[in-house]
Amino acid sequence: MTTFNFKRHEIESKTFLVVDDFGDMRGMLRTMLSSIGVTEIDTAINGKEAIEALERKHYDVVLCDYNLGSGKNGQHVLEEARHRQLIGLDALFVMITAENTREMVMGAVEYEPDSYLTKPFTKDLLKSRLEKLVIKRQDLQEVETAVSTQDYESAVRILDEKIAGRPKNLAELTKQKAEILYRAGEYEQATAVYEKVLSVREMPWARLGLGKIFYTTGRLQEAATMFEGLLHENERFTAAYDWLARTLLALNRGKEAQEVLQRAVALSPKAILRQKALGELALKNGDNDSAEQALSQAVKLGRNSVYKAPDIHANLARVKSRRGDGKTALKILGNMEKEFKGSEESKLHAAMAKGIIHHNMGDSAEAGIWMWQAGELYESMGPQVSADLTLEMARSYGELGDRDKAQSMLRQAVQNNHSDQELLQKVEGLIGELALDVDPKSFVSNIRREIVKLNNKGVELAKAGQFREAVALFSEAVAAMPSNKVVNLNAARVMIMNMRETGMEGDQQRKVRELLDRVRLMDPQSPALRRVQSMYQDLMKSPF
Amino acid sequence: MHFADILASLIHDMKNSLWLVINTLEAITAEPLPGAETDKVFTLQQEAKRLNTNLIELLTLYKIENERISPNIEELNVADFLEELVLENQATAKAQRVNLTWECDHTLSGFFDEGLIRGVVNSLIGNGMRYTATNLLVSAAEQEGYLVIRVEDDGKGFPREMLAAQDVIDNHLALAEGRTQLGIYFASMVAKMHRNKDHEGYISLTNGHRLKGGCFAICLP
Repeated sequence: MTTFNFKRHEIESKTFLVVDDFGDMRGMLRTMLSSIGVTEIDTAINGKEAIEALERKHYDVVLCDYNLGSGKNGQHVLEEARHRQLIGLDALFVMITAENTREMVMGAVEYEPDSYLTKPFTKDLLKSRLEKLVIKRQDLQEVETAVSTQDYESAVRILDEKIAGRPKNLAELTKQKAEILYRAGEYEQATAVYEKVLSVREMPWARLGLGKIFYTTGRLQEAATMFEGLLHENERFTAAYDWLARTLLALNRGKEAQEVLQRAVALSPKAILRQKALGELALKNGDNDSAEQALSQAVKLGRNSVYKAPDIHANLARVKSRRGDGKTALKILGNMEKEFKGSEESKLHAAMAKGIIHHNMGDSAEAGIWMWQAGELYESMGPQVSADLTLEMARSYGELGDRDKAQSMLRQAVQNNHSDQELLQKVEGLIGELALDVDPKSFVSNIRREIVKLNNKGVELAKAGQFREAVALFSEAVAAMPSNKVVNLNAARVMIMNMRETGMEGDQQRKVRELLDRVRLMDPQSPALRRVQSMYQDLMKSPF
Repeated sequence: MHFADILASLIHDMKNSLWLVINTLEAITAEPLPGAETDKVFTLQQEAKRLNTNLIELLTLYKIENERISPNIEELNVADFLEELVLENQATAKAQRVNLTWECDHTLSGFFDEGLIRGVVNSLIGNGMRYTATNLLVSAAEQEGYLVIRVEDDGKGFPREMLAAQDVIDNHLALAEGRTQLGIYFASMVAKMHRNKDHEGYISLTNGHRLKGGCFAICLP
């Protein structure tokens, strides 16, 4: 590993990308950087060019103006660069703003820049800021590496060591530690960190953190109270709206959840993910006006955003069709297919939506053909298909009157995600919406019970030392529910236990890796996955 | 489109212009100029900065009045913050032969909205440079649970009416004059936006704190 000694001249050796729509500004920034000693400087005149440059070449630092004229703005560039990993974890993204734009950017934010620079600034300030950022980044490099490999224990240990030294950025490190503990599923420890912070000073981020823990651990009423309290204190705290809406939804208070999102959207109309969530929720609540408005906005915002997605278009087409405007609906889908050319998901969404639209236009034969095609596409996507797509399939079958198929899709969704409360609730909601001939609660709980029983049986067998039987049982279960994370992980677990007892076996080793890979693809952050992974690593290390 | 959005977009454009002006002037002053020319360029430079400060104040006050802003309180290292502020103003200070320095414990951390307080302190430094004799000191310390940021000079100090009026914030507008008036109003509005539990931020004007001239303090809970 290279030495962490920071040399003052290091900025000079970094590669820079400067993004600004004004030639004079680009020239000035370039001059500033040259006078600091930087030699590798490229420029881009808009967001599109910036992304192209980032695709082509590796940059250490991006200096990007927030305001880039029409097209993508600086936040779009940042989101796309980070989301598509066009820049490395160690790269710096510095946003240049005309005023304190933070509040306008804050509404979005999946990703935040490493720093904001407010115009006008001098080259001395630029240099000083960049130097500090580089030092800070190097200081946190080990933590980030650990987090990126989901080695949360090491990340927390390194942070604890740093925190013990009472550094300048104590609060930032503490916040990071709590977030990592939350991600690792260590809710008690994370709670302790937040409460300690709050005992000294009122900090909204710590309250939000506690609220998230309440939500995740099923203490929904407490979570709702926490988020409402935060909004009472600061009505511009947009993250609190998102969490409150999510909590209300979990409490089956869909209408209120929609109102909450509407308040947030009024504050930050440019946040595409929130517009999308609002549109979907309104669609579910049967509020076509709000759904149309939010989804149109989301489609429009998607033009510049990495978060554009075919289901936004498809849902907008559905709303149009519901209101009797089948022609516009089909046109929207046509545009979508052009925009997402080659995407399997887009094809599937288009086929489903076309089924509905033709059905609503009274052409059931045409509707049937499209739905048949949707079914084929869905099957071809294999076990990694997202649960949301399964639900969309169920919805489409249901709306076309094919209740059996709708029900079988919903069964599949429950089987593959029986421990995902949010999803189970969606299933129950859909059963009501589609007026299927089953009781929502018992439909879900019956399937759930079967799987839980099966899991328990397998675990008991393993406990009793009957590993072979347990492996056989779970192998069968995996075949029946290939996307069920718990079943996949339990299968891996009993195989590991079996090998621990009877020695390594090439075939089973391969099978374990396959199961872990599958779960990783579905949910890379899963704490349960991490535990089984480390079980497997221990097994590989142990001498035989 | 909201007026605030139009305003923000216009200010963005104006700031680009000002930035170009300021930087071009900085490039000019990097080389030695014939005697009388230097002063002229310095005047230009300083006026451009003042315009910039005014723009920030204008936009922020507009947002405060229309409740389109709420402070984004973060924990910051105060020494880093002051160092940057002084760095930003150093060129102008040198040009005016003002000795601008800062003082702060390196481990001191504060809780405030960086953008807002930056605007306030920048404006105070700008003012200070006009009224000081030779020295301008920016300092910060923790006192009785408050973070106190001071900008003080060794000029003549604040007039007595201003010192007397400071308990009644609204009177500032009536008593203070011209440029200073907006600056004080802005600072007190921003200070008041900073709250912690039962405490609220405030400003305080004194003379002869550590230097013999005026001392403007912004105190944040």
